[in-house]
Amino acid sequence: MENGFILLFGLSMLYLAATSRLISHIRLLIAQGVLLFLICCFGHSEHTGILNFSFLTIETLIVKAIIIPWFLFKILKKTNSHRDVAANIPHFYCLVIASVILLAGFLAANYWFSSVKMISPIYFGVSIATIVISLWLITIKHNIISNVIEFITMENGIFLLSLSVAKEMPILVNLGVLLDVFIAVYILGLFVNVINKEFKDLEVSNLSDLKDYEYND
Amino acid sequence: MINTLLIFPIIAGILMLLVRKRVFDNLLLNVYAVVHFVITLLLTFTQNFNKVTQYFAVDNTNKIFLLVLSFVFLMVTIYNNGYSKNLPSFGVQIKNTKFCLYWFMVLTFVWAMTGTILSTDLGIAWVFVEATTLSSAYLIFFNRTKNAIEAAWKYVFICSIGIALAFVGIIFLNISTGGINTLSYAALYAHAAEFDPMWLKLAFVFIVFGFGAKMGLAPIHFWLPDAHSEAPSPISSLLSATLLNSAFLVIVRVFKIMTLANCDSYARMILMLMGFLSIFVTAVFVYHIKNYKRMLAYSSIENMGILAIGTALGGTAYYAVILHLIGHSLAKASFFLTSGNILELFDTKRIKSVHGLMKADNKTGWLWIISFLAICAFPTSVLFISEFLIIKTMIVQEHYILCILFVLLLTIVLYGIGRVVVKMAFGEESKDKEKIVEQNKKKVTISMYIPQMIMLLIVFILGVYVPPVLNNVIKLAVFGF
Repeated sequence: MENGFILLFGLSMLYLAATSRLISHIRLLIAQGVLLFLICCFGHSEHTGILNFSFLTIETLIVKAIIIPWFLFKILKKTNSHRDVAANIPHFYCLVIASVILLAGFLAANYWFSSVKMISPIYFGVSIATIVISLWLITIKHNIISNVIEFITMENGIFLLSLSVAKEMPILVNLGVLLDVFIAVYILGLFVNVINKEFKDLEVSNLSDLKDYEYND
Repeated sequence: MINTLLIFPIIAGILMLLVRKRVFDNLLLNVYAVVHFVITLLLTFTQNFNKVTQYFAVDNTNKIFLLVLSFVFLMVTIYNNGYSKNLPSFGVQIKNTKFCLYWFMVLTFVWAMTGTILSTDLGIAWVFVEATTLSSAYLIFFNRTKNAIEAAWKYVFICSIGIALAFVGIIFLNISTGGINTLSYAALYAHAAEFDPMWLKLAFVFIVFGFGAKMGLAPIHFWLPDAHSEAPSPISSLLSATLLNSAFLVIVRVFKIMTLANCDSYARMILMLMGFLSIFVTAVFVYHIKNYKRMLAYSSIENMGILAIGTALGGTAYYAVILHLIGHSLAKASFFLTSGNILELFDTKRIKSVHGLMKADNKTGWLWIISFLAICAFPTSVLFISEFLIIKTMIVQEHYILCILFVLLLTIVLYGIGRVVVKMAFGEESKDKEKIVEQNKKKVTISMYIPQMIMLLIVFILGVYVPPVLNNVIKLAVFGF
């Protein structure tokens, strides 16, 4: 059951790489939030106290599957942006490269780390692949909302990685991390609004005025 | 006592949000600065108080970091009293209620840095470091120009990703620990010898890159010149003199784990590489720079590089690192604050547009020159002692080529900065600038000179005489490496 959810989570990254409509990216974030919630529910009930556990899972659901996507929806409406078409690489190649990274994640986890008792290979492979795919997508996409979305998927990947370690982080740390991620997304969202007002579109290239050898006041 | 340090700003922050009056907010910030400093003095130099709570503690290692943070914060607050009267600068239109967030955010920023320094748990430290990013983002964005947006965006994005990768490092560290299910430094130190070296090394790379991004080490320093040059000057000096140190403290703590686990030669190599890269980057870029605040930001990168190199060398260099940290914080804070005066006077950050600083405003001119002498390790600046000790350690350890490279790069940086400083300080003002300076002169009040004078005085005194009490604290801090 749990492994199925993790696989779905990994496949969702392929979907992210292959599509360009921002609205479907945000729907995907909701799906990832729910998947993480389910993985939390099925995989980790035995490790922590019931209070901590329920608090963490519910917070995961609320922050990752409800508040952040809702907030991004609002920004999307405000800024009137629908598609991120200006990626450097065509979607087909994106899909191929993302699949290769995912495969590499599986292989690495199964061949190298299967000897380590504390981590389960499938968790580890998918989460590392998610982080790498997200970082790579950040570098090739040109729309700053996409960059924020990929930042969140990277954080999701890291969350999955922290679940893959059979030990728990202290509960305070987990809560702090969730809170920080939420605030980071909130602040980035505010900046997206400001950038939308100041510049004519949401291209990353607008944000390249500050240079060392030229002066800008 | 520790609780007061961390709870006072929460209450003060809530009050600020409720009241939102300039005078009141400023007053509260001043009160916090004084309270912070007094408590820090008590915690650092006396034995009578409770220094440990569950997640926060004052120990030998973080004492000196706390002291530097507290002192610089106090000085910046004094400067801020004069500076904030002229806000918002550049004719920016901001609603008064929004504008009052400035003090609230400074308060949150300092609170987050205090939390980072005092935390006894790697996870908690991570949470607070991320909190520093989020609170200072608003301050960098404060002037609301296009460039400020760009700087703030880069800052939040790069640092958040960096810090997220640091968290991956923390998870790897957690894997390497085996049976120990905690992230508290004390427990990690106690069991460090049993950790799995492969995972530990992997963890160290991620953690150094993550927190190194925050500390401003090359090759992940890109946010730093932008953010420092676009933030209001008191914030630039807080960023440079205290934020970078807090991130460095976390690296020092993790470095200690590496030492105890006998993986330190690996850690030293990485730090040495990043340190030299930082100085190299500064030496390359400082030459053709057009903006004097960017120049100071690059100098911060260079000095963080020196800290990394000192840590990598070990031995006597640890003592030098602590001295360098104190000296750099005070000298750079004063340098940035003085650059704030220049910005107020000339209304530009362009190096070419500023001439004849000495004639325009004698005191600012002298502060500019003396800050430069302090940062370029002119004897008796304490930085002279620290850099001398680092060079000596290199020679003792027979790293002759590194030593030559180090001196050469520092000389290049020194020449690059010195040329600009001299150009700006001397010569004749242009006619059109003269008028602007005359108009702006009344903006620079007495409280915008005093903090720099105090800090520079301390930097130059510490070069010849370190009080035994302080020396004791520094010596204890050396054991934290």
